[in-house]
Amino acid sequence: MLHTHNNILERETKREKHNISINDHNDILIEVLQRLDGRSLAAAACVCKKWCSIVRNDALWEHLCFRQLSVPPSVGVRSVVLALGGYRRLYLMCVRPVVSRLKKRRSNGGHTEVVRRLWNRNEVELSLSLFCVEYYERLLLGDGGAVGGGESAAKSLRFLCKTVNV
Amino acid sequence: MEHLSYVKPLYAPFLCFTHHSFSLYSLSISISPHISTSIHNIFIFSYSYSPSTHPHFYMGPTPYNSSNSSSSACSSSTKPPPPQPPDQMDHLLAGAGYKVRSNDLTQVAERLEHLETVMVKSSPVDISDIGNDAVYYNPTDLASWVDSLLTELNPNVSGSGSGSGSGSGSGFVSGSGPAYVSDPVMNDMNNVYGEFGQQVVTPIEEDVSIRLVHVLMTCAEAVQRGDMSLAGLLIDDLQGLLGRVNSGCGIGKVGSFFVDALSRRVVNSPQNGVVQVDLSAYENEILYHHYYEACPYLKFAHFTANQAILEAFDGQDCVHVIDFNLMQGLQWPALIQALALRPGGPPLLRLTGIGPPSLDGRDSLREIGLKLAELARSVNVRFAFRGVAASRLDDVKPWMLQVSPKEAVAVNSIMQLHKLLGPGGPRGPPVDLVLDWIRDLNPRILMVVEQESNHNQPEFLDRFTESLYYYSTMFDSLDACTAQPEKTLAELYIQREICNVVCCEGSARVERHEPLVRWRERLTGAGFAPLHLGSNAFKQARMLLTLFSAEGYSVEENEGCLTLGWHSRPLIAASAWQAIPKPSVVTTGR
Repeated sequence: MLHTHNNILERETKREKHNISINDHNDILIEVLQRLDGRSLAAAACVCKKWCSIVRNDALWEHLCFRQLSVPPSVGVRSVVLALGGYRRLYLMCVRPVVSRLKKRRSNGGHTEVVRRLWNRNEVELSLSLFCVEYYERLLLGDGGAVGGGESAAKSLRFLCKTVNV
Repeated sequence: MEHLSYVKPLYAPFLCFTHHSFSLYSLSISISPHISTSIHNIFIFSYSYSPSTHPHFYMGPTPYNSSNSSSSACSSSTKPPPPQPPDQMDHLLAGAGYKVRSNDLTQVAERLEHLETVMVKSSPVDISDIGNDAVYYNPTDLASWVDSLLTELNPNVSGSGSGSGSGSGSGFVSGSGPAYVSDPVMNDMNNVYGEFGQQVVTPIEEDVSIRLVHVLMTCAEAVQRGDMSLAGLLIDDLQGLLGRVNSGCGIGKVGSFFVDALSRRVVNSPQNGVVQVDLSAYENEILYHHYYEACPYLKFAHFTANQAILEAFDGQDCVHVIDFNLMQGLQWPALIQALALRPGGPPLLRLTGIGPPSLDGRDSLREIGLKLAELARSVNVRFAFRGVAASRLDDVKPWMLQVSPKEAVAVNSIMQLHKLLGPGGPRGPPVDLVLDWIRDLNPRILMVVEQESNHNQPEFLDRFTESLYYYSTMFDSLDACTAQPEKTLAELYIQREICNVVCCEGSARVERHEPLVRWRERLTGAGFAPLHLGSNAFKQARMLLTLFSAEGYSVEENEGCLTLGWHSRPLIAASAWQAIPKPSVVTTGR
């Protein structure tokens, strides 16, 4: 993905004939980025400033969180998630660890698992609840301490970050 | 002839003699790594002999009062025997006045078992013959005493050592019978009872652990009898044993907490003074928060309760939740968020949080209320908070809660009701009064989460045994947590519970846990009907547990209630109840 982009740039600087650059067409860029998984998306944010600003757009992460959902989330979810810190944070803090942990558990159970699985409403709801608890803990911490680091994981979700003991 | 009542003994017995009962403690050797199952295999049984029919059964020169057993027929002096080299004689029994070599313990125990079978089979005439005679043998030298009794009763049996009963030093040869290692399957009674003559080989560390548990039980039994001098000696023993076992995990760690609690009880009698120092509300909150992080019990409680409350509030526009122990309000963000996302929009949510009054000027209840209000505002839920400061739950009066008749009420009690089971006033235990006014509020749901164990039995030894088993299991589960400082502080939180169960009495003992069956009786008797926790709660609990790193947790459904346990031992039980409205009295006239 990234190599292709570099090639395109190279060819452009060489020829300077065609005025087509992926960077000129945000819609196409977004369409492409929407299909990436979380890790690639985060890597894409490191490419250049423009890509970084696009990736930081929460809509991409919303799509990432819920595109695998069998039933689309209800209407109010967006405002709640945005109030609690946004989809990118939701993905990083809750969705990714929950899904990977549940996936690991299922595949340890014996039967093979499709890599991109649909996850169900219950898992979404649980992730949202955990996300809310995490937001609340940040609220509790924010008053007393001067930590301020937005990316620090609140304590209650640390158990999600640990590796599974099998 | 005193009736012998006993339970079939298991293998590798240890012996301890007390002043007028003959108790045989026996432990099975289990290779299981879990300390909880090790303790599970302790059986205590006692034979009681009435001293008057056995005047020869003089308990040797002991420092305790043997009330009516010191018969004049005995000619031994009352001074304690000269101290034996500790590496030869079992010092535990030496403390009780008996001289037995440590090597001979298993053999002597076998012989005692044999003596038991012989005495049961003998006719009463033979036994009383012995009883009528003068003193023969000094039971201080236990080994030869047993042998002599055996030869008396059954001349066909010959001990492997000297059969004379003169009480000289034990002349037994250390047994060289076939070695026999028990395997883990042999935990049920039918297989373990070995034949007379077999020996057991145990690894040394396991020996120390088992011994530790055995001495703990002995000490607890001494405490129950009020024999504080023996208890003190045993505690010194225990300190020594703790030094030899790994106190970082397993029986060493939980054992050290129980030893600490016992020593506190022995040193400060609970009737005299305060045994457990109260922590400030702030310190309590910190310990509670770390307990919340380190293990899933509180999370399970919160999520299950929230799910049940959410379902009970279905379709209601004004809802009121009463929390019996607000702490930092960690339960409520998830409920607020779930209400925000419910189809049809969020209701007006009122939360009344009950908590201890803060003595250092911080109004912690109000602060928590503000934070929860901020969160509710972010997610567009109309929210109102009220704090009620009360040091005990029975100080709360219903009018303080300001329940309006139009709203749906939910009462949430996470591990609070058991504190009301202590000695009450003239009108009965406080729990009945509190349940009564809860019923008057007519809640749509009363959520009760309690520890699943019986730590409220009248006898100290029963409580001690039960809590040893319960907290060992809990510490087993805590071993999986690696996050520090959460783990240490969580252990400290649990230690305070242990200390309260073991050391305190009367109104100071608040950790009076009772099992789910008793809570069911109590709540149905108080006018509540059970509500079944649905499959959503069950699924959510299971999912929550798969997220925790340790594989040993299990969620089970028990007649509509959910229990969370470790390896099939339930540790915490959640149940939901609905108030049956009181039959209204019809007034005539006016």
